[in-house]
Amino acid sequence: MFLAPEGDEAEIADAAAAFLSDALPIERLHAPDCADMDASLRALLGEMGWFALALPEARGGSGLTAVEHALFFREVGRQCGPIDILAQALAANLCSSAERREALVAGAKGVAMLVADGDCWRLLGSHEAELGLLVTPEDASLYSLADAACEDRAALDPANSLRVVSALPDPLESREGEQLWQLGQLGAAAMLVGIGEAALDLIVDYAKVRETFGRPIGAYQAVRHACADMAIRTEAARAQLWYASTALKESRGDASAHIDAAKHLANEAAMGSADANIQLHGGIGVTDEHDAHLLLKHALLLTRIFGSKRGLLSRLLHARLED
Amino acid sequence: MDLRYSDEDIAFRARAREWLKDNVPQERRPASGKAASQFDRDWQGKLFENGWAGVAWPKEYGGLGLSGLQQVIWYEELSRAHAPAQHISTAYVAQMHAGPTVMARGTEEQRAFHLPRILSGKSLWCQGFSEPNAGSDLAALKTKGTVDGDTIIVNGAKMWTTDAAHADFMELLIRTDPDSQRHKGLTWLICDMTTPGIDIKPIRTMLQDDHVNMVFFDDVRIPLANVVGEVGGGWSTALATLSFERGLGFIADQLELFERVGRAIELAGTVRLDDGRLAIEHDDIAQRLASIKADTMAIRAMTLAEITETDRTGEPGPKGSMMKLMVTTTHKALSQLVGEFLGWGFMEFDGDRATNPWTHDYLWSWVFSIAGGTNEIQREITADRVLELPKAR
Ligand SMILES: Cc1cc2nc3c(=O)[nH]c(=O)nc-3n(C[C@H](O)[C@H](O)[C@H](O)COP(=O)(O)OP(=O)(O)OC[C@H]3O[C@@H](n4cnc5c(N)ncnc54)[C@H](O)[C@@H]3O)c2cc1C
Repeated sequence: MFLAPEGDEAEIADAAAAFLSDALPIERLHAPDCADMDASLRALLGEMGWFALALPEARGGSGLTAVEHALFFREVGRQCGPIDILAQALAANLCSSAERREALVAGAKGVAMLVADGDCWRLLGSHEAELGLLVTPEDASLYSLADAACEDRAALDPANSLRVVSALPDPLESREGEQLWQLGQLGAAAMLVGIGEAALDLIVDYAKVRETFGRPIGAYQAVRHACADMAIRTEAARAQLWYASTALKESRGDASAHIDAAKHLANEAAMGSADANIQLHGGIGVTDEHDAHLLLKHALLLTRIFGSKRGLLSRLLHARLED
Repeated sequence: MDLRYSDEDIAFRARAREWLKDNVPQERRPASGKAASQFDRDWQGKLFENGWAGVAWPKEYGGLGLSGLQQVIWYEELSRAHAPAQHISTAYVAQMHAGPTVMARGTEEQRAFHLPRILSGKSLWCQGFSEPNAGSDLAALKTKGTVDGDTIIVNGAKMWTTDAAHADFMELLIRTDPDSQRHKGLTWLICDMTTPGIDIKPIRTMLQDDHVNMVFFDDVRIPLANVVGEVGGGWSTALATLSFERGLGFIADQLELFERVGRAIELAGTVRLDDGRLAIEHDDIAQRLASIKADTMAIRAMTLAEITETDRTGEPGPKGSMMKLMVTTTHKALSQLVGEFLGWGFMEFDGDRATNPWTHDYLWSWVFSIAGGTNEIQREITADRVLELPKAR
């Protein structure tokens, strides 16, 4: 039993952090037309093999596990990476056609994320994406977007564009079971943990240098204690994320309960930290040029996919857990 | 990362479960008085005789020499088996921090004398750190010690000393250098509670008990040989004690919380509210219970992460304060919620945890968030040591 990244896991996390801070820095979101994963970023990520982390070797993947998947998406979250990255990785897992799978793993073809919304669907991701992925706790389906009726909507979150889809064709392929949902939950939870960590880092750094009344604000307890609470909630969400991704890797019977808990804790920790981070920055925290609102808006989006509060908690209430 | 238990871990859990099934005391623990401490001594003695005491203590000091993870397994099995609760046991201080402090900082003679007595339940300990004017600010303590030949003469008063009336020994922190300030000039002593000149006055609490006390020292002579660490170096020994208290001290409660939330969910499935529906059928109650359950899952994950890390490095990290905050706030949220749906039964309380554990836990939530360093102080420590923010003090 061990519950912290070690050895190869830590190396992969470090490599992902270095690569993403270069290829996908959060600062990009201050420029125009910054939403989504465009074709060149997709090709770059594909070249590095990042879409194939949790894909078995026999199917052209790296043969790594849910743990590396979570470690990677936590780094994606720290940079407010677009949700298309997760859609692409999940779709590569879904594909039974080798040809399509290779194109997805290589980033040659793009995938956007579909989310049910009443009679319609919401579409998150690049206009360059040819495919849409819809994942539910019961099954997952891949659609061609070529003829789908899509309508652009103004998006709150600069990291992802937002469309409404009123009709979808028959899926290109589908798979039953909760496997993709679980990987999606872990990916989204990991991104949220990354956002919580990024928000905490921002305010801790600022609290050391911003002075009022002749002292750094980090010396005031109203600030210190709020930071301590952020740190605790983030730590709890991270510990549960490690537990849950390892439980999935080891195919434990209670993995889905641990994943639900991980998503719930990540939802709460990220929203709490993103909120407090803005407040504790004062006026600068509400400006467009600051990263604080980017973290909040992306967290809002992520809390809406792969399980939000009510659904997660009602599944969790009577869930049985193993030793 | 992995969640697998070794074959030894699995066998250990099975043995523990089997033994506890037949050996957990069936009779209620008396709520207070000598009968309560005798019960605790007997239970600890039984654990010792049957080879269950000091799971993670080294073999050379009479422990089982097992891993921190096996210690966790043991606590999990204890709470599942409804064994006597750790946090109200009068053996708590001895097991959780006095023993470990003597082990880490004591002399060979001190270890040889005290550790077997602690493990077998023969000696109970109390903690004489806080004073009327030194709680959060422990380094403001004034109880005075004067070295006289091979003894130290102690004068002053300690406050909030839990179970002083039952304890055989005290962790006594005093100022031996009258000119010293703050953290300097302190000394950590083993005080035999039968020494002449000690007077114990109980303080009645909101839990309707007399467990905490004021302890007065009037020319109490303690052998110099009872100093743990150096004369004048007591702060360093005290920090070791506090790190055991805040680190390992809450493990049993952390894991018990996980069991307790399951019992609360069961309870909510049996209690009818005014509108005739079961408590669990109310969305807000069900949601809050599930959210607390998620928190206890995270607490367990944090505990396992911390313990398995410590098993490798040999040293606990700086996260004990975060753990204590997480545990005390979750404990409070759970007992508050149960109080909301339990109805009038919650208002019946005779001071005995055995009759009404939920009300006792509710009242205990303030003990939890104040004793052992308040939640505000734990936030301070987290801000200082984990986040390295500028000092407030
Ligand atoms: C039931 C019980 C059992 C106890 N058992 C023992 C025992 O066995 N042995 C022992 O030695 N002690 C024991 N204690 C004492 C306990 O450790 C102290 O009560 C605690 O450390 C707080 O000290 P205080 O009561 O003097 O409160 P104070 O230090 O006076 O604090 C008052 C309030 O101010 C806040 N505060 C203080 N300083 C700061 C700061 N710097 N920043 C922000 N807020 C601050 C505190 O959080 C608290 O809310 C026990 C206490 C209780 C309630």
